[in-house]
Amino acid sequence: MNNPVIKTNALSYYYSAQEKTLSEINLQVERGSIYGFLGPNGSGKTTTLSLILGLLDSPDGSIEIFGQHLHSNRIGVLKKIGSLIESPSLYAHLTAKENLNVYRAVYGASKARVEEVLHIVGLGDTGKKTVKKFSLGMKQRLSIALALLPDPELLILDEPSNGLDPAGIIELRELIKRLNREHGMTIVISSHLLGEVEKMVSHVGIILKGKMLFQGTLSDLQSFQRKGARLLINTSDNEKAFELLRDHQPEKAEENVSIAFHDLQQVANITRILTQHALDVYLVCPQKNDLEQLFIDLTSSQS
Amino acid sequence: MSLIISFRSEILKSKRTAAFYFTLIGAAVIPFILLINIIADGLPGEGRASKDPINAMFKLSSDMTGLALFPLFIVLICTLLPQIEFKNSTWKQVLTSPQKKEDVFVAKFLNIHLLMILFLVASHLFIWVVVIASHFILPQFNILNHSFDASKVLQENVHTYLSCLGICAVQFWIGLRSRNFIVPIAIGLTLWLFGTVLVLEYHSSASPYFPYCFPAIRFSSLFSPRLNQVEWTSFGYSFLFLVIGFIDFRRRRKLK
Repeated sequence: MNNPVIKTNALSYYYSAQEKTLSEINLQVERGSIYGFLGPNGSGKTTTLSLILGLLDSPDGSIEIFGQHLHSNRIGVLKKIGSLIESPSLYAHLTAKENLNVYRAVYGASKARVEEVLHIVGLGDTGKKTVKKFSLGMKQRLSIALALLPDPELLILDEPSNGLDPAGIIELRELIKRLNREHGMTIVISSHLLGEVEKMVSHVGIILKGKMLFQGTLSDLQSFQRKGARLLINTSDNEKAFELLRDHQPEKAEENVSIAFHDLQQVANITRILTQHALDVYLVCPQKNDLEQLFIDLTSSQS
Repeated sequence: MSLIISFRSEILKSKRTAAFYFTLIGAAVIPFILLINIIADGLPGEGRASKDPINAMFKLSSDMTGLALFPLFIVLICTLLPQIEFKNSTWKQVLTSPQKKEDVFVAKFLNIHLLMILFLVASHLFIWVVVIASHFILPQFNILNHSFDASKVLQENVHTYLSCLGICAVQFWIGLRSRNFIVPIAIGLTLWLFGTVLVLEYHSSASPYFPYCFPAIRFSSLFSPRLNQVEWTSFGYSFLFLVIGFIDFRRRRKLK
């Protein structure tokens, strides 16, 4: 098993004595993974990422990055991390290249690397246009270029698709997958929309009100999803259907009968039982329970 | 080495900022006033100026700069430079980059001093432009054939610079603390006015201990003999407030 790139142990944080923002977060990001850090707005994603990057001090618990405590080797650790926290952090009076040049020497990057990252994010031809004249999407892409400047081992992107149009979101998704695949970059990407990240992540962490609700691989989440899936059935006599399907532990769901859904063969078996007992089957439908719905269910059931 | 890298980064940030343009415009204010005065009314203070015009012009500029313009410039510049980070929400990027916090802090302070020195140098270059222009505007004085006491000018500038060190560190600290642009400027202007009145109007015995009084000290016949001590005090205040400012900078939970 890979050593985790990020490992937090019972990480808790208080903005004030009365307000516990994070509660015992055990985040574990495996090397080479794309980790989707999900939660509604205000759930503690940015606070967690700010603590990991050392923007906030004095948490309870511990944080290890690349197997080291951040404060024991802050500069060495930060040299290997590219980050974008919340909104773009750019100097509006400078051009795209000048913005990168501000940090070029700090990260020990070459002039060629500046051109390379601008090209990667599609901003190679912005010339003397200053950032204040950029659209929000361009600013977001330049922020990603800045995060890529050190050719980082770990890329932390907090809500990177904010302000991007659908085409920009797709481009970003492809870029993240490419960086992970071709450069072996470990990527943590936070979002409040599961649908936005589920197509690219390998691991998922779901946070709500400062507590982790779920952490694991995407397939773990999908099997968790299947466990919760239901099959909705509507027939000419739902009372009789309820009795016939007693082995499946049915529940009454408004005008339908609902049973736990396992696989498609089960649908065929149930339909056969119902029709053999002269029932007209009007509806046999897996209840909407995609990952997005599961995310909403998970977070809303805890609210 | 890491400080030099951080300093270079700070210089790149101040390119094309209001702080940079303000330095050049601020440095041109007194030479411009002097030029207008020469065009309209001839050399200022006819008596001495006609005998020693170059040094008289530099003295006039140095007095106006040292008493008012330079302290006010420092108040503004110490607000404008930290505002670059606040205005662009870039503190988080600065603090997550691999730079020591002390390097970031000192590099910002050095950048302010670089602009202060640029202000003084530019101001003297502009005065030279006025001197050359006045040679042709008032040919009867044959101005360029008169002597120039460079060491005296340098000495005056060193006094101006040293007496403002205390104000610079205090304003730098306030500027780093305040997201709001108006507050540090209002505090600085008020305290400078208070300090100047305290020295020149009330001749207060507290003047040699209050940093905002220091720029006016050498224009007071009562306190100017203590100028050397005041400049050391200014240096001491600068060190003290730099340390306090840095502790506060490290301690503050959220700058962004």
